[in-house]
Amino acid sequence: MPAPAAIASHRFVVLKFGGTSVAAKPRWDNIVELVRARRREGLRVVVVVSALSGVTNALQAIIDAAGRGEPLDDRAAALADRHLKFVDELGLAQAPLLLEWLARLAALCAGPRREGAQLPWQAEVLALGELMSSSLGAHYLERCGVEAEWLDAREWLRVAPVPNASDWASWLSVNCHCRPNPDMVAALARRAPVLITQGFIASDREGRTCILGRGGSDTSASYFGALLAAQRVEIWTDVAGMFTANPRQVPSARLLRRLDYEEAQEIATTGAKVLHPRCLNPVREAGVPLWVKDTNRPELAGTEVAAHATRGPASVKAISARSGITLVSMESVGMWQQVGFLADVFAIFKRHGLSVDLIGSAETNVTVSLDPSENLVTTDVLGALCRDLEAICRVKVIAPCAAVTMVGRGMRSLLARLAPVLAEFGALDVRLITQSSNDLNLTFVVDEAIAAPLVPRLHALLVKAEALRLDDEHTFGPSWESLYAATASRLRPVPWWATRREALLARAAQGTPRYVLAIDEVRAAARRLKAALPAVDRWFYAMKANAHPAALAAIAGEGFGIECVSAMEIDAVRAGMPDLPVEQLLFTPNFAPRAEYERALGQGIRVTLDSLHPLQHWPELFRAQEVVLRLDPGHGAGHHDKVVTGGASSKFGLPLSDVSEFLRLARDAGLRVTGIHAHLGSGILEAGHFRERYAELASLADQFPDCARINIGGGLGVPSRPDEHPLDLEAVGRALAEVKALYPQYRLWMEPGRYLVAEAGVLLARVTQVKRKDGYTWVGVDTGMNSLIRPALYEAYHEIVNLSRLGEKADAVCEVVGPICESGDVLGTHRRLPLPREGEVLLVATTGAYGSVMASRYNLREPAPEEAL
Amino acid sequence: MSAFDPAAVRAFRFVRAGFDAASGTAELVYSFDDAHEFTERIVFPGAPPLPADRRPAFDAALRLLHLMAGVSYYKAAVPPEIRVETGPLDEATAVLCEQVYEHGLGEFAWQNRIDLRGRVRFPRGAPAPVAPLPLGLPRASLVPIGGGKDSLVTVELLREAGEPCTAVWVGASDLIRACAERTGLPLLNLGRSVSPVLFELNRRGALNGHVPVTAINSAILVVAAVLYGHDAVVFSNERSASAATLEADGREVNHQWSKGYAFEAMLGEWLAAHVAPDLAYFSLLRPLSELAVTRRFARLTRYHPVFSSCNRNFKIVGERPASRWCGQCPKCHFVFLALAPFLPKPQLTAIFGRNLLDDAALAPAFDALLEWQAHKPFECVGEGRESRAALAALAARAEWREDAVVARFAREILPALPAQDLALAPLLEPGGPHRIPPRLLAVLHAAV
Repeated sequence: MPAPAAIASHRFVVLKFGGTSVAAKPRWDNIVELVRARRREGLRVVVVVSALSGVTNALQAIIDAAGRGEPLDDRAAALADRHLKFVDELGLAQAPLLLEWLARLAALCAGPRREGAQLPWQAEVLALGELMSSSLGAHYLERCGVEAEWLDAREWLRVAPVPNASDWASWLSVNCHCRPNPDMVAALARRAPVLITQGFIASDREGRTCILGRGGSDTSASYFGALLAAQRVEIWTDVAGMFTANPRQVPSARLLRRLDYEEAQEIATTGAKVLHPRCLNPVREAGVPLWVKDTNRPELAGTEVAAHATRGPASVKAISARSGITLVSMESVGMWQQVGFLADVFAIFKRHGLSVDLIGSAETNVTVSLDPSENLVTTDVLGALCRDLEAICRVKVIAPCAAVTMVGRGMRSLLARLAPVLAEFGALDVRLITQSSNDLNLTFVVDEAIAAPLVPRLHALLVKAEALRLDDEHTFGPSWESLYAATASRLRPVPWWATRREALLARAAQGTPRYVLAIDEVRAAARRLKAALPAVDRWFYAMKANAHPAALAAIAGEGFGIECVSAMEIDAVRAGMPDLPVEQLLFTPNFAPRAEYERALGQGIRVTLDSLHPLQHWPELFRAQEVVLRLDPGHGAGHHDKVVTGGASSKFGLPLSDVSEFLRLARDAGLRVTGIHAHLGSGILEAGHFRERYAELASLADQFPDCARINIGGGLGVPSRPDEHPLDLEAVGRALAEVKALYPQYRLWMEPGRYLVAEAGVLLARVTQVKRKDGYTWVGVDTGMNSLIRPALYEAYHEIVNLSRLGEKADAVCEVVGPICESGDVLGTHRRLPLPREGEVLLVATTGAYGSVMASRYNLREPAPEEAL
Repeated sequence: MSAFDPAAVRAFRFVRAGFDAASGTAELVYSFDDAHEFTERIVFPGAPPLPADRRPAFDAALRLLHLMAGVSYYKAAVPPEIRVETGPLDEATAVLCEQVYEHGLGEFAWQNRIDLRGRVRFPRGAPAPVAPLPLGLPRASLVPIGGGKDSLVTVELLREAGEPCTAVWVGASDLIRACAERTGLPLLNLGRSVSPVLFELNRRGALNGHVPVTAINSAILVVAAVLYGHDAVVFSNERSASAATLEADGREVNHQWSKGYAFEAMLGEWLAAHVAPDLAYFSLLRPLSELAVTRRFARLTRYHPVFSSCNRNFKIVGERPASRWCGQCPKCHFVFLALAPFLPKPQLTAIFGRNLLDDAALAPAFDALLEWQAHKPFECVGEGRESRAALAALAARAEWREDAVVARFAREILPALPAQDLALAPLLEPGGPHRIPPRLLAVLHAAV
């Protein structure tokens, strides 16, 4: 709504700082700087502060102690001490305002009103935290030469009574009036240009102190912004805004530069912790923009919440998961179309004081979700509710669940794009689906145990499916990891092919398409691994990634054994390297026929088993043998569902529930399990994954009395996109060493494939035709999925450059496709390239792993041959 | 790498044991014949200087530790002869060792198809020692923390009784450290490193399997009690730990023999006669059933997010419950079931991160706990009647009775069980033999 003229003439900005931002002197210096900058913009400033960090909890502890009838003097003295020390730290000679509040604290703790800890007394005690911090702040601003005054928030934040509010809520969880108030604008305009006031507190009609409760300080700032029709409200916190997912779960989550109020509200409600959802309504009503900014990094843009006209393409904005959800499913036992069933059900929830969040209903069933409120978890309210519900329906309690929510304006219009994302739920037990009636969210309730790994996967799928439109730079900012993670400093080195362009073009001149494999890069990768991961006792190369003889020889030359998955791979290795000792070979097949096991065992090659079948049907093969057992610990990780190699829908590994049967069969067959193995996905770029999975596997080894080695597989990721960060090998090395020290009895084996060869290989292809159609620029090259099937099979991303004109301005957005008669024959979409011309050479990067080895003669087109460089 | 042939070993030798006061390190040396020497090290961090009057007790305790810790190495070959080169043993010590090596290796012997009866023979010849003098150790208990519910219940009972305590654990473990820190007690983390030669022999074909780790830890804690000055070592083994898990070829095999009452009593008497008459060694939970312990633990909510009774050897734990609870072992199943009658459902499922009673695939696993058409698992879990009573209680509860395992129990098993055997209350009563000092009995019998 437009602000009245009287208001518009005075331009206010509200800055809010939380507890950690006001608890140290350097942070106050930041505040002073920010206030000065706003003054230079010609704005009047209202600073809203929280209590020093930890003080509200200490005040709550005083209240709890009073409730138990304990003495309070020591606690009050400790709080006074904390604040007086801070006076010293700030270098203030005196702090008369603070001393008043300390006296008030002592009086409240000693006075007769503490008896029984009545609610009005509690409100006064709790209010002291902000009263003290704002007083300190007023003194400090003054000392820094800022023309500032202390303002009592209770003069202007007035309680708006809510019907049916409990006594507790009327004192400790109040709401306030927030219509723009010209009298207040005029009054504050007569005061100093900088005012410092309290978050969290307000007063009722009689002027008595009340508390806003959870999210109170943000909400106070929002109220001030609305009442003053401010230019904006700035929430200063410890992160640069709202992100597309919780950065702790998804480090690649992107900053949300701009959101409208409703989207921000939805994101805050469904999981983001950075803003309390209740603070958005006042600014929305008043049309005041709200910024979220990082106190430590004020230069970062942050998030701006305002009534933005939708400019960018429709997009999912964020994904979140809330855990601890309880579902109550009620099956009507009454008559068909029983009148009033829902009313009866909800009356019982109301009677037990339980507030329902999500609802799904059917003719004879209604299922609702309950958030993990304090009373639900610590009291028997759920049991009592169910006893009452049983009178009218059959009840089933489903817990613990998690609600996974995608937020974005116009979710219903995005359904088509979501198809590959929703496919992820195919293998999962989805308990409830709801689509919010305001079309802002789509929520899946699943078992809690599967939610945590799900969110990063869904986030990645949303990006890949372009349902989360990262190309909309107006909305999406940089990733959290590029802003904050320690990994941000790890720069991706210049790829080798960029420095050896001439040699590659010379190879291309001899004929395309062609794979080129830089053997020195393979060797360097092997040395890098051995140097960074000394905890690994034995290395094997998973030759399925690339079976080129030169690569095998180079890797074996670095002391690696070779891991084979077929008898044919074994034959190839033995033919190529007849001198390689047999103990350097490992045979890890999956669903191979009996004859291949016989051949491997016959040559004395160590075998890995991953099912009961061989022991049930061919036990005689294994008498007096030693094997490694491949386990499926029940979950996987990786860059695509087809390369996730652990978990319920994976064909790999023995389920843990079959271990005791396997051991019984092994005992009968005279077989010893001397090692255990699990390969938990591929393309993992996060060091912590290896620590967790190795520790998990080691924790299983106890059941195998003969186990002496643990093979944690490979999975060492190689970044595919230029903006991805390489795996921090040193961090992986530290993680492995830490776990190994805890389980020193087991030797550690690893068997990387991709890591050794992926980046060493490139595919060179020549441009055949260029076509413009449907607004797209299609660039054809002389090979496609017949040489490189990963983009079609896994939607894998491979960087593509125009090698003929490397470094020139990328002026075209191209869809790079092959000549195969198949609509999936696409090597890369939306690639920025110098517009390719017929005959130019394109380079497809990172094709050394699973490139040539997966090639085919589809369409009878010969795939690119691979040669060593 | 040449193979190791256990049958070729003639003798297991106790070579020497020493203690380096400067580093607080006990060095325990063993060997097979003259070929393989093993050195195990136990580190007692920040150990204070030993008062002279405690020296004889300390030496006796260190000798016990040398004898007990040898079981890990002995079992790698189980040779026919045992030689103790640190001086002759008296009859009582030799008998204690023989009991621990034979019964403590019971499961190992069963798995490896070895008959240890009559095979474990410790040389003896020394006269019984003169009765040791009281040490007058400070009144304080060493409480070993295992990461599970039991030791945490012990800590809180001792706190209630006003006993000064130190939370102690052996080896590195995130899980145990988190539990120990939650107690708010003084902490003592002892180091133990097993000889790498043993790992090497294991890779080359040595015999391997379960060892009586509570016997080893008991000896470590006895040394610690004398060294740091504590007058009690208080374990948390409950009543059912004494029951045999299986009978084979006429012998009883108890998965956790060294947690049973027989071992506790034997070691307690040995300590009184060889170390000090005033150093108490007992298990505070001995008269309690698993359900009684669980009911007490249900109220200790501050431990709920950190503890785990799961049998998986979790040493590194993540934030998610799945990194503490595998959900697949009988311990997970039993603890879930035993806590369920005493906790709000959302609180219980939050601990485990899933609802094990609503997983139909687990019905056979719960049948085993109920001893319903199945044998009790080879694990330390409560008795069948405890599981039956707990499930019967849940079948009467609206928020549980539609869950897969509970519904099936109510439909198929409950009707066949005599109603009078399903009451919870009698199972919660303390009873059975114990060695708890009288001053602590009151807290155990106090109403929960």
